[in-house]
Amino acid sequence: MTKAYINGTGCISPQNSIDSEWFFDTINPAKGDYFDAIEPSYKEFIAPNLLRRMGRAIKMGVAAGNIAIQQADAKKVDAIITGTGLGCFEDSERFLLALLNNEEQFLTPTSFIQSTHNTVGSQIALLMKCHDYNFTYVHRGFSFESTIQDALMLFEEGKETILVGGIEEHTPNFVILNRRAHKFQEVTLNTPIWKSTTPGVQMSEGTACFILNKTKTDKSLASVDGIQTLYKPKTSADILNKLHSFLKLHSLTLADIDVTLMGFSGDVNFDSKLQELLPSIEKESIAACYKNVCGEYHTASAFAMWTATKIIEKQKLPQVLAISDKTPSQIKHVLIINQYLGINYSFTLLSQC
Amino acid sequence: MDALIEKLKGQIIEQLNLAEVKPEEIKPDSPLFGEGLGLDSIDALELIVLLEKHYGIKIQDPKDGKTIFQSLRTMAEYIKSQGKS
Amino acid sequence: MSQRVYITGLGMISAIGNNVSESFLSLSQSKTGIGKINHLTTRYKDEFLAGEIKLSNADLVDLVKDNNPALNRNSYIAMLAAKEAVINSGIDTNDGLRTGVISSTTVAGMGKTELYYKELFEKDDHLDVLDTHDCGDSTERIADYLGNVDYVTTISTACSSAANAIMLGCRMIKHGQLDRVVVGGVDALSKFTFNGFNTLMILDREWCKPFDENRKGLNLGEAAAFLVIEGENALNLRKGKALAEVVGYANANDAYHQTASSPEGYGATLAITQALAMSGLAQSQIDYINMHGTGTPNNDLSESMATKAVFGNQVPKFSSTKAFTGHTLAAAASIEAVISVLSLQNSMIFPNLNFTTPIAEMNLIPETQLVNTPLNTILSNSFGFGGNCSSLIFKKA
Repeated sequence: MTKAYINGTGCISPQNSIDSEWFFDTINPAKGDYFDAIEPSYKEFIAPNLLRRMGRAIKMGVAAGNIAIQQADAKKVDAIITGTGLGCFEDSERFLLALLNNEEQFLTPTSFIQSTHNTVGSQIALLMKCHDYNFTYVHRGFSFESTIQDALMLFEEGKETILVGGIEEHTPNFVILNRRAHKFQEVTLNTPIWKSTTPGVQMSEGTACFILNKTKTDKSLASVDGIQTLYKPKTSADILNKLHSFLKLHSLTLADIDVTLMGFSGDVNFDSKLQELLPSIEKESIAACYKNVCGEYHTASAFAMWTATKIIEKQKLPQVLAISDKTPSQIKHVLIINQYLGINYSFTLLSQC
Repeated sequence: MDALIEKLKGQIIEQLNLAEVKPEEIKPDSPLFGEGLGLDSIDALELIVLLEKHYGIKIQDPKDGKTIFQSLRTMAEYIKSQGKS
Repeated sequence: MSQRVYITGLGMISAIGNNVSESFLSLSQSKTGIGKINHLTTRYKDEFLAGEIKLSNADLVDLVKDNNPALNRNSYIAMLAAKEAVINSGIDTNDGLRTGVISSTTVAGMGKTELYYKELFEKDDHLDVLDTHDCGDSTERIADYLGNVDYVTTISTACSSAANAIMLGCRMIKHGQLDRVVVGGVDALSKFTFNGFNTLMILDREWCKPFDENRKGLNLGEAAAFLVIEGENALNLRKGKALAEVVGYANANDAYHQTASSPEGYGATLAITQALAMSGLAQSQIDYINMHGTGTPNNDLSESMATKAVFGNQVPKFSSTKAFTGHTLAAAASIEAVISVLSLQNSMIFPNLNFTTPIAEMNLIPETQLVNTPLNTILSNSFGFGGNCSSLIFKKA
C-alpha cells in the first residue's frame, strides 16, 4: 500500500509551534473561550508588494508552506492541495460588510478576489511557479483529510512530492457571533477535555502544511500509512468496527498503536461517541488528546498530524496531551481519531520510518 | 495641480494598502504600472473605485484606465478635465 | 486496477430549465435563460441581466418537499439536481455498494448569510446561518437527502470546481475506493458574487457574446448540476445503462495571476493536452469542444490561444453554452458535462448564441446554429480564478 513520507512540516497554531524547537514545553492557555494563532513575522516569507493584499489565512498558508518546503529542501512540488473549512473568512467578511454598509457601492475587487477558497493554494502555486495539479477541499472536518486522501492517490498515479495543508482563520466578529450562538465555553487546562459534561468548544484557528514524498529519503520524519473518513457514524460501536477494519487493512490491531490521539473538543454533544470509545482505546493503546492545546476548528486534524509527526520524531508523548496514565516505551505507530461536530470522523495512521 | 497630486498620493497609498511606500517616493511623472510603483490590473480596478469614491467620476470601461493611470500627473489632469478636483 | 468510469445519470436545474428535459428543450430551440433579474435583491436589478433559475425559494421548498428552515437556495437546487441524477441512473443507494457525494461550490451559504449578517449581532432569530454558511453544508444536505452515502467531500476551485469534482469521482472509482459517485457543483446567485464580479468590471450589461470580437464580459447565472458516475464493475453488477464514458481528465495551473488568464493560455493548454493524452485520442478525434467561453475579453482570447496551440489549424467544431445559462461558477463544469452528454446522446451541437464577429487575431468561428451531426467525443474546458484549469473528455457509450 502506498505511503506518504513526511519530509517537512510547518505549523502555525495558538502554541509556539512556529519555533522548530518547541515541543509542548510551554503552553499558552485559551483567551477564555477561544484561541488566537501565534503568527510569525511574515516579511521573512512574503514580499511586501504581495503581502499588502493578503488576508491572514493566505499569509499563514504561504508561511507554513514555506517552512515545510525549506525543512524538506524541496526544489519543486508536483501538486499543491489545500484544505479549509471557511477559507479566507476575513476577506469574505470585509467584502460582505463593505457591500452591506455602502449598499453595493464603492466596492473594490481585492477582498472579493482574495475571498475565494482556493486563494491560498493558488498563491502558493504563483509563488512557486507550479503549473501542476492544484486542488482545494472545503468540506468541514474532512477538508484536511481529503488532501491526504488525494495525495495518496496521486502517489499511485506517479507524483513524487506534494504540498498539503490545512488552513483556518477566524475574525473578531466570527468569535462574537459564535459566542452569541452559544458555541463556546471556557475550559481551563485543569479540566480534562475528554470528561466534559457541558456543550461548547474553544473556537480556534491555525495552519499546518506538510511536504509529502512518495519515497523515503533521509529527510523523512514519519510516514502517513492511511486515512479514512466516516460520515455520520450512528454509534460508537460503528466507529470501533470501522477502526478495526481500517487497522486490519494495514495489518495492525489496536494493541500495535502506541499512541491514539483523540479529537475531544470539550463539547459533550460532539464528544459523546469518543467518550464511549475511550475505554476500548485505553484497554489496548495509550490515549491522548490535542484540542486542549490547539482548540477546535475545521482543520484541527492538520495540527493533530503535525503533533503525531513530532511525537514519532521525539519518541515521547507530551504530558499535557496524555489521557491514559501509561507512558509509551517505544512509539512506532500513532493513530489520530478526529471528530468535527460529531458528524465528520476520521482515522489517520502514522508510523515511524 | 500640485496640491491635487499630493492628495492623490495619500489616497493611492491608502486605497492600495501600500504600507511600505512613502508619499515622496511616488514621483508625479513616473509610471504607476509595470515598473515604477509596480501596480497591476487589480490595482487599476481599485483606482477606478478611488476616482468614483473621492471625485464622483465613473469609468465604465476598464480599458480607459490605461491612459488615465499612466502617472500621478495624468490622473490629476484627468480629474481636472472632468471638472472634479 | 483501472476500471472504466461511465456516466449513468444526469440532473440539472438552471436558467434554461428546472430539470434535464426542460433544459434539452431550451437548448434545442436556441432559447436562452438569461434575462431581467427577478429573484435576487440588488440595486443593479435593472442594470444587468442574469441567468436566474425561474423559481422562488418557496417554489423550491415545494419541489424539495423539505421545509427545514436551515436550508438555503444553494441546498435546495443542489438536492433537486442530485436527486434527479440518481433517479435517472436507477441506482439504489441501499444496495450495499459504496456511494460517494463529491460536490463543489464557491458561494455556499453566502446568499442567506448576506441577508442576515448585520442583524446577527443583535438578534438571535437567524443565528443558524452560522451553521449553513460553509461549503460543506449543501454537500451533506445532498448526502442526507439521498440516504446511505458512505463518503462526502467538497471542492472549491472557483469556476473549475465541478470539473474537479467529476475528476476526483473518477479517480476514487479507479482507485477502488468507491463504486459510484454523485458528482457536480452548485452555486445560487448572491449579492456577494454579483457585486464581486461587478468590481472586476467583467459583467456585460447585455447578453454575453462568447468568442465575439466585441464581447464585453459575462452574465452570471445560477445552477446546480450533478451526474452519477459508476465504475464498470458496479454498472455490470446491476446491468445498468451507460450514457457516456469519461475517458480523459486533467488539472493544471496557469500560475500567472490571481484572476487573469495568461495571454497565451498556458495552463489551459496543459490541461487540454494532458486530458487528450490520458484519453489516448488524437487531436483529430475530438468531434466538438464545449468551451469555457465566458464572454470576458481575457478568457476567450486566452482560451482561443490554447485551442490553437493544441489543435493548430484543425480546430474541431466548438461553442460556448454560457449564453444559454450564464456563467454558473462552481456549477458551470457540471452543467456543461450534462450538456455534453445531451450532445452525444442526441447528435447535436448546441449553438454559441449572440456571436457575430470573430476575434480579429484568432479568426475562430463557433457554431452559431444548432448542428445535427453524429458525435463520438467531446472535450469540455473549465477555468477559474487562481489559475485553476481543468479539462474533461467524454465519449459516447
